[in-house]
Amino acid sequence: MLYKTITFDQIENKEHRDTITYLREVLSKCVDGLVKAGATRYICSASKAVSNEFNVDGGEFSLFRTQFSDSLSLTVFVGDKKGTVNLNSFEESSLDEAVKTAIASANAAAPDPDWQVAPKENPAVFIGGAVDGNNDRLFERFREFIDTVKADYPLIMMEQAITSHSGWCSVYVNSSGTEFATIGGNYDFEIMFSGHEGDNASSFVVEGLSENNLDTPFIKKGRIAAVLDETQRQIYTKTFDGKFTGTLLAPPALLADLLFSAIGNFTSDSSIINKTSIWLDKIGKQVADSRLTVSFNPSDERIVHNEAYSFEGFRSKDYDLIKAGVLTGFTISAYTANKTGYDRAPNSSGAIIVAPGDKPLDEMISSIKRGIFVGRFSGGEPSINGDFSGVAKNSFLIEDGKITAALSETMISGNLADLLFNIIDISKETVENGGAVLPYVSFGNITISGK
Amino acid sequence: MLYDHVTGNIHSFDPQCHVELRAQINKSRRASMLSGSLIGNSRNEASGVCCRVYKNGFYGFASSAEYTDASCKAVLNAATNNADFLAKHVYSGKPGIAPLPTGEIRVSQDYPDPEQKYFIDFIKEVDNYVSSKYPTLISRVVSASAESYEKILAVADGYCTHSILPRSYIYVVMTAEDNSGQPIELYEVFGGFGSFDMNFTDSSALHDKIDRLYEHLCRKKEAVYASAGIKTCILGPMMSGMLAHEAVGHTVEADLVLGGSVAGPNLGKVVASEKVSLVDYAHTAFGKPTPLPVYVDDEGTKADDALLIDRGVLVGFMNSRETALHFNMTPHGNARAYAFSDEPLIRMRNTAVLPGKDKLEDLISSIDDGYYLINSNNGQADTTGEFMFGVTLGYEIKNGKIGNAIKDTTISGVAFDMLKTVDMVSDEMEWASSGFCGKKQPMPVGMGGPSIRCKVNVGGK
Repeated sequence: MLYKTITFDQIENKEHRDTITYLREVLSKCVDGLVKAGATRYICSASKAVSNEFNVDGGEFSLFRTQFSDSLSLTVFVGDKKGTVNLNSFEESSLDEAVKTAIASANAAAPDPDWQVAPKENPAVFIGGAVDGNNDRLFERFREFIDTVKADYPLIMMEQAITSHSGWCSVYVNSSGTEFATIGGNYDFEIMFSGHEGDNASSFVVEGLSENNLDTPFIKKGRIAAVLDETQRQIYTKTFDGKFTGTLLAPPALLADLLFSAIGNFTSDSSIINKTSIWLDKIGKQVADSRLTVSFNPSDERIVHNEAYSFEGFRSKDYDLIKAGVLTGFTISAYTANKTGYDRAPNSSGAIIVAPGDKPLDEMISSIKRGIFVGRFSGGEPSINGDFSGVAKNSFLIEDGKITAALSETMISGNLADLLFNIIDISKETVENGGAVLPYVSFGNITISGK
Repeated sequence: MLYDHVTGNIHSFDPQCHVELRAQINKSRRASMLSGSLIGNSRNEASGVCCRVYKNGFYGFASSAEYTDASCKAVLNAATNNADFLAKHVYSGKPGIAPLPTGEIRVSQDYPDPEQKYFIDFIKEVDNYVSSKYPTLISRVVSASAESYEKILAVADGYCTHSILPRSYIYVVMTAEDNSGQPIELYEVFGGFGSFDMNFTDSSALHDKIDRLYEHLCRKKEAVYASAGIKTCILGPMMSGMLAHEAVGHTVEADLVLGGSVAGPNLGKVVASEKVSLVDYAHTAFGKPTPLPVYVDDEGTKADDALLIDRGVLVGFMNSRETALHFNMTPHGNARAYAFSDEPLIRMRNTAVLPGKDKLEDLISSIDDGYYLINSNNGQADTTGEFMFGVTLGYEIKNGKIGNAIKDTTISGVAFDMLKTVDMVSDEMEWASSGFCGKKQPMPVGMGGPSIRCKVNVGGK
């Protein structure tokens, strides 16, 4: 979602304007102290937030929690030496102490010329999302969901359900003269549940989403209803002997896990600085099937959590990490970029969007001779080279184009880099959960092992 | 040390409710070097006050980063209003919290908080040792971490307390190329309870341990794929501790039992071989302080040990005061909150498989074809007890002898099935305490155990 950009004078809500003014004063005091104490550069931010959260445990309403939160972060440079202090107090004595500690931490560090503060950007106030929450409406939506699950999904035990609204004001300043403020808010929803009949039970499932409004019942969002239905059908599972090589049908949640594992192994700061990435020489080259495009677009209207600027103070821009199968760059910070000579990523690479394909999901399933649908993967960290193996949770066998028995004690293994070349189909349908927009993808050549 | 604004408010608690008023400060210090560059250098503090009120079958909770007498009263009012909000909209029918004996335990002492320079200088020394002695490594990470959790809890019934829990660690990660040119990695964690300058005074004390880690890494350069399938394995202390925590511990947390975990219908039944006993220790185990001692939990329950599996039989759950009443059990002090802004949840403390009488060398020599699995980088388990652990350090056992190292793999199984296959338990005992358990909130926990011989599904080729 693209935040609206305004000036400080255009903030209409007096409470927001007062809070932003207060945070600017807090930061001004800190910056004065830092500069007097010898800071040559700095990146500082302060925020105030209020969160209201409803909890259901074991299917019953249990807790209503309110949090009033403050946070202050001072990153300071003395020459090329950097130190950071984070705290949650704006008291005068705390600010003085934080300034002293930040300077002492920087002085203790080794100089590193690759730390960067972005050049000056025009001042801006970013505003958007569900800034002011409606607790009564949120509670009613939540109760409606809990009642719907009890009525329509009788085999589901809601182990925990949490919904909340958070609203915040924050201010960011750096030594290049940039000053940004943000006024934002959103609703979050997360459920953990399993299917039960007598003493038989499915694996647990976690689903979540973020929203900017409460217009639509939670049950109708994302894959919530589909996963509740699948979980009721996973109470009775089968195991099979031996192993076979087949197709993995990944729903959006699993696709996100697989892609973020690959990104962590092959394009992250540590893998590039360490030179352990097997994609180190792959920029501009094919790293995936040509139908795969992976983008990070925080300004997309389907993404709830906006990102207006980076830690260093660069304005965030949408970008494609993999375009038609070709790697365009790495998901690295300005620091790593300076250290390695590659370009920094245009944003922090969280708001993932994968372009849809042209095949309906039903047709994808009908074309699978033998394979597995895996709702959740419970695996170890993949090896640096991308080898992975783990348990296929919330999974079904696919045989002759049909989803058949629910499975347990089944493992899948493969290699993340190979996987991206072994794409069979990408679905026409996509699923949104506020943080990602993803299709279903089927992958070939996966080792599927039973007991 | 935190100033006590909370205890003086006890007189204003509604006697018809259970009320907890807690002030807390969490501190963390981090420094991290990646191949000689200082990439992390930060000091964090988060403090404030919270109140939780149990009224009419609902919890109301409120927290504030401001910690004054006025903010104590404000969170008390807000928490009460939140409990009232739920009672206005939903009928609970739950009984009140059962009262507990009252008392006070103050175990606080002021631990030193070294300046950031101490952390940075120490990891520089360790990094210099690693880089000069092992120059062929592709990369290395040396990190220092120290945390402390100081709390003052005021309750009208139960135990009031003032406590500090400090822990500190050094992490060393080494990456090398294996014989086929692929990167391989191993890590080790050193440290435990206590402030950083208590645990780390001389970097040379770590040299032997770092050398052993490098020896394992060299063996791993020639590692072979494990053979997939059900295998006889020895799980070393780190792996048996993870089993205790992930695969059994979570399923016997009473809130997850209420949510339908596999433990519910198995209470009182045989779930493991008679060689297996499992305890969640509070503050003392085997005559020594536990790695992360808890004396009073965040509901005011005086903490003692929770016996979970007694010679193969599932005998108990870990409870809050509310779930203990539901299950007619005694609470042992498992309700813990991570931050000042968090409500107490049922959490483990120091969970361990108890040692047996066998010798590790006898476990090894008893296996003709199997694996010795030593370390893991992560573990996950289901409420069904189905678990998966990543294995980062392991060896083949062939004809009773340690053989080749194995490449990274995973093991999996169903806890209450797998534990029935345990037929040898070693007499040694090791703890790990650097990790965080994740369950809505993070939580520092200890886990440990001996080496156990069992049958488990090994992933591989």
